[in-house]
Amino acid sequence: MPSTRLMDYEPIVGHQNLEELYLLAEGLKGKRIKMFNSTAMGGGVAEILHQLVPLLNDLGIETQWEVIKGGEDFFVVTKKIHNGLHGESISFPPRMKEIFLEVSRENLKNTNLDGDFIVIHDPQPIVYIEAKNRTSAKWVWRCHIDISKPDEGIWNFLKGYVEQFDSALFSSPRFSKGLVIPQFLFFPSIDPLSDKNRELEPEFIDQVLERFYIPRDKPIITQVSRFDRLKDPVGVIKAYRMAKRYFDCRLVLAGGWASDDPESEIVLHEVQTEAKEDPDIHILLLPPTSSLEINALQRASSIILQKSIREGFGLTVSEALWKKKPVVGSAVGGIPTQIIPNFTGVLVYSIEGTAYQIRYLLSHPDVAKKLGEYGHEYVKEEFLITRKLRRYLLLFHVLSHPGERIIHL
Amino acid sequence: METNPFYFYTSSSLVELTGEKANTLEELLVLLRRCTGSAIFYHVFQSFRERHFAIEKYHSDFAQWVSTSMDEETLAEKLGSLDIRDFTSIRSLRELMIKTIEEYVHQYPQSKERQGKTPFFFCQSVSVVMPTKHIAWGLEDFYQIIERIGIRSIHYHLIEARLRLGIHTNDFSNWLRDSLRKEKLAQRVEDIDIYLHTLEEIRKKILHHIEKEIKS
Repeated sequence: MPSTRLMDYEPIVGHQNLEELYLLAEGLKGKRIKMFNSTAMGGGVAEILHQLVPLLNDLGIETQWEVIKGGEDFFVVTKKIHNGLHGESISFPPRMKEIFLEVSRENLKNTNLDGDFIVIHDPQPIVYIEAKNRTSAKWVWRCHIDISKPDEGIWNFLKGYVEQFDSALFSSPRFSKGLVIPQFLFFPSIDPLSDKNRELEPEFIDQVLERFYIPRDKPIITQVSRFDRLKDPVGVIKAYRMAKRYFDCRLVLAGGWASDDPESEIVLHEVQTEAKEDPDIHILLLPPTSSLEINALQRASSIILQKSIREGFGLTVSEALWKKKPVVGSAVGGIPTQIIPNFTGVLVYSIEGTAYQIRYLLSHPDVAKKLGEYGHEYVKEEFLITRKLRRYLLLFHVLSHPGERIIHL
Repeated sequence: METNPFYFYTSSSLVELTGEKANTLEELLVLLRRCTGSAIFYHVFQSFRERHFAIEKYHSDFAQWVSTSMDEETLAEKLGSLDIRDFTSIRSLRELMIKTIEEYVHQYPQSKERQGKTPFFFCQSVSVVMPTKHIAWGLEDFYQIIERIGIRSIHYHLIEARLRLGIHTNDFSNWLRDSLRKEKLAQRVEDIDIYLHTLEEIRKKILHHIEKEIKS
C-alpha cells in the first residue's frame, strides 16, 4: 500500500494548517532524524512510526527508523521494565540488568548514529544514550507509558539514563517527573485516513451490522476494548441494564484478547455469564485485522463508552470523538485529557454514573450531538497525526534553540 | 500616501511540563508566585487557543480548575472575569490573580487547604514565531488575507500582541491606525470581545468591519 502523503490530509485539516507545517519544515531542511524503538510491527508505537516517518520524509526531513534487536531473554527483561513503569511491583535482579545492558551495547556496535536528532521510543533502547558522545545529535526520550506511579527500583535505574537526554516527552502532565531535563507534552494521535477512522459508506456500515446480527431497531451503546478486567466489561453490562430500565437500547462489547494475557479467556467467560443470553447484548470477539469493522460499529452507535478502571491514554476515546459520537468515559489515565467534562464528552466515576449519563444522553440527543461535534473539533486540533507532526517539528526547532522561550524563525 | 505593509506572522507552541502541581488553593498560590511568566501566559492566553472552536465558561485554565476541581465558583468567576485587555504585562496579571485568591482564602479560610478533585498541573510554553508568505499592502489585500490565514496567526496578532507590545491594542488595530489612518476601523477591531467569540467568529467580525469600511 503506498504511503499516505501530507497533501492527503488537506481536505481534513485545511490548507492553512498544512501551510504552517511546510513553513516549520522549511527551517529544518537538511536535518536528519533517527527514530529507535523495539518492534517494527504490532503495538501502538510501531503504528505511530509507520505513519510519522513517511510524513517527516514527505516534508523533506530525512528520517530513518531502526529497531533494536534482541532475543527472548532481552524482551522478557524489557517486559518486566514496562510492567514496572506501569506500577507493578517487580524484582529486577542483577542478571536481568546485565542482559538489558549487554544486548543494548551489542546493538550499539552496529548502529549508525549519524543524525541531528535521535528519538528513542520507550525504555527498550534507552541505553543507546551511552553513545551520546559519539554524535553531536540532540537526544530525545519519548515515553509512551503511564509512569505516574512506577516501581521505584525500576524508575531509579532508568532515571539515570533519562536525565542524560536533552529532553523527554510524555503523553500527559500526570506522567511527568521531577527531572533535570526539559519535558514536553506529546499526545498520542489517531490517523483520520486509516481504516479505523476513515469515512465509511452507509451501505458498508449496514453490512457489518448485518454480519454481526445487530438490528438497528434501537439505540446502540458500544464499548470497544479487549476483554480485560481493567476495561470493566462487566461494569459496562451492569450500567447498560440500569439504563435499559428507562430507555430501551442495545449493548455492543467489541474487542479482541491479548495472546500474552492468560486472563482474557476468563474475563470473556465472566462477561458472557453476566450477559445471561440477553438478546440485546452483542459480545464480539474480533481478530486484530478488524479495523474497518470497529470503525463501522463505532459509527453505528448512539453512545460510546470507555468505562476503564485503569487506562494508558485510551485512544479509543479520540477514535469515537472523531466520529462525532458522544463519549461516556471514566476519569482515569488519559481519558480526562480527551474528555473536557460536559464539553467534549462526559466523565464518570461509577457504574451508576455511567448508567445515568447513558439515560441522559439518550433522552437529550441535541446535547449528545453537541458533545460529539465539539469532541470532533477537539480531536482535530489536538489528537490527529498532523498535530503530532507539528509537535515534532516544533520540538526540533526548540532543541536547536536551547534556553529560548520565544524562537523567531 | 506611502503606507507600510502588514507582514503576517504565525506562532505555534510546544507545551513544556514543569513537573509541578497544586492540589489546594494554598499550593496554587505558592506556585503562582514562583512560576515563570511563560506559565501564566500559557494558562491564561494560550491553552484556550486549542479549544478555539467553541466558547467555554472560562478561558483561563486557573478559573476552569477552580470551578471544576475545587467547586469554588465565586473565585472561579472572579479569576475568569479578568480581561486581558486590562493588562499590558504578565507581572500585573500575576499580581492581580494572587491578590484575588489571597482575598478569597482570607474570606473563606476553609477553602485554603481543601483538596481538589484533580491536581492543577503547571505547564509553560515555548513559542516558535515565523513569518508567513502573506503581506498586505492595503485594506483590500488585508481583507483577502484575513479571510484565509490560519487562526494561529489571528491569535498571534490580535491576542498575544497585547502583551508583546505592552499596550492596550493589537497588531491589526495598530497597523490600521498608524499606516492606513483608519482610526474608526482600528477601534472597532479593538472592541471585538475576544471572550464571547470563537476565533473563527472573530475572523468574521474583522472581515465584516473591513467590508463596512470599504463600502463607506
